[in-house]
Amino acid sequence: MQIGSHYKKLTLLSILVIAITLIAFTGKNSLYTDPYKLEYPDYFGNRISIPENNPTTKQGVYLGRMLFYETKLSSSKTISCASCHQQKLAFTDGKTFSSGINDMPTKRNSMSLANLLWVRNFFWDGRAKGLEAQALIPLNDPHEMGAYMEKAIIDLQKTKVYPVLFRDAFGTPEITADRITKAISQFERTLISANSNYDKYLRGEYNPTEQESNGMELFMNSAEPSKNIRGASCAQCHGTPKMYMELFHNNGLDSIPKDKGREELTGMPNDRGRFRVVTLRNIALTAPYMHDGRFKNLEEVMDHYNEHIKPSKSLSVVLQNRPNEMGGKSLGLTAKEKANIISFMKMLTDSTFINNPAFSNPHLSQK
Amino acid sequence: MKKHYVLLILLVSLFLGVFSQNIMAQNIIKEAVVKIEGEVLKPLSLSLSDFAKMKHVEASMKDRDGKAQQYSGVAIFDLLQQAGVTVGKELKGENLTKYLLVRCSDGYEVVFSLAELDPSFTNRVVILADAKDGKPLADGIGPFRLVVPDENKPARSAHEVTHLIIRFAKD
Repeated sequence: MQIGSHYKKLTLLSILVIAITLIAFTGKNSLYTDPYKLEYPDYFGNRISIPENNPTTKQGVYLGRMLFYETKLSSSKTISCASCHQQKLAFTDGKTFSSGINDMPTKRNSMSLANLLWVRNFFWDGRAKGLEAQALIPLNDPHEMGAYMEKAIIDLQKTKVYPVLFRDAFGTPEITADRITKAISQFERTLISANSNYDKYLRGEYNPTEQESNGMELFMNSAEPSKNIRGASCAQCHGTPKMYMELFHNNGLDSIPKDKGREELTGMPNDRGRFRVVTLRNIALTAPYMHDGRFKNLEEVMDHYNEHIKPSKSLSVVLQNRPNEMGGKSLGLTAKEKANIISFMKMLTDSTFINNPAFSNPHLSQK
Repeated sequence: MKKHYVLLILLVSLFLGVFSQNIMAQNIIKEAVVKIEGEVLKPLSLSLSDFAKMKHVEASMKDRDGKAQQYSGVAIFDLLQQAGVTVGKELKGENLTKYLLVRCSDGYEVVFSLAELDPSFTNRVVILADAKDGKPLADGIGPFRLVVPDENKPARSAHEVTHLIIRFAKD
């Protein structure tokens, strides 16, 4: 009997050892190949951009989140991506122009980071094709993060935590600029905002107020005074549930723009003063507005589109001749209509998104 | 003294030469072109002057107010043939899964299946217009725009066309 029980114990022990070895072995492998499931509503469509050489993995996303909040990536050790892209402000910073190292102001207003999975051309002028190319630019900019990449790699390699995280995400502990931008991009692809009141309305879970309903109608419609249809034509550029279209338009801010926008990139005069059509998701959180942050609030934005469009050769055709009154020169919305459109835009605020712990600073929770 | 003068004149003219070259370089405005690329045998890049040498046809479409507008330009079918796209006799089998992606300078994009543009399938002639009423197209519309006759919405008659890209529908 005693011998039997010894055998039993021995067998159990050996099974345990084998199991632990197997778990450790497969666990190591699964770390490297653990796909991250990007969840989003069907109405966003599947025209998403994930490069074949950078699939989204749980380990890559976590590393990217660590790096997104990592001040060691800047020469002053004070600036991270999150300095200009703060979660509580839908990943903007509330400033007209952001401050890089030594408080140097950037050239343009910080853009919101939401639903980037669908974006194809990044920055206000669309100069970066893909998130990987985008992430490299602020890191290498002498004014934004101090062009510190090469030294930051050495710094990170010396830490205890990062070589392990890089091994988990990419197979070996080696840290490279390419891997840093890949991981940050993986994290940024997870920043999906799809739980605003507008989303709840689309899912049949929210009844808009009268103001929101009227605002939504005006937002979606183009004016046809002969048919008595009133509209603000917002959806011409900010239509679809994603609340933007991948377009570059001159929206009539100036007749002679100080910042030439996309023209600087293409050299084409018809691109003068053209900038990205941004998403309006969480727009109530991302003041000030426009590429140069010139408008303090949504009221000023509405006044601009309604009354102050400046003519120029490259002014968007969509912003010309859309009056609500027969023969009108401007859009001609009433004060109440403008307020209603703002009520609708506030429906696009997603508190789940700005409070999602998966997007927050992981360094804080470690401390 | 004379030597000094010669040297001075030489220096001044050199300076002016370099300076005016810089000014010239700054003043050169890039010429708008339309590129035809993708699944083509011969990628093309066509300017307005290249267009002027090509056979023009007329096409009309209704504008937003429902008024008929007359345009002149080159048939898309002719452009595709010149670029060596599988149209005409070759438009069969898997080639019927090819599409034309039209891209504009502001990022706007629309698609057509090749069969929509081929006279062996349809009598409708879609053109890439470079003139309206004998004049170049207006700012924000030209220099090249698509004119798609007989459509209830003008949304595919894209403005400021810069690229005609042929691709396979893969999945």
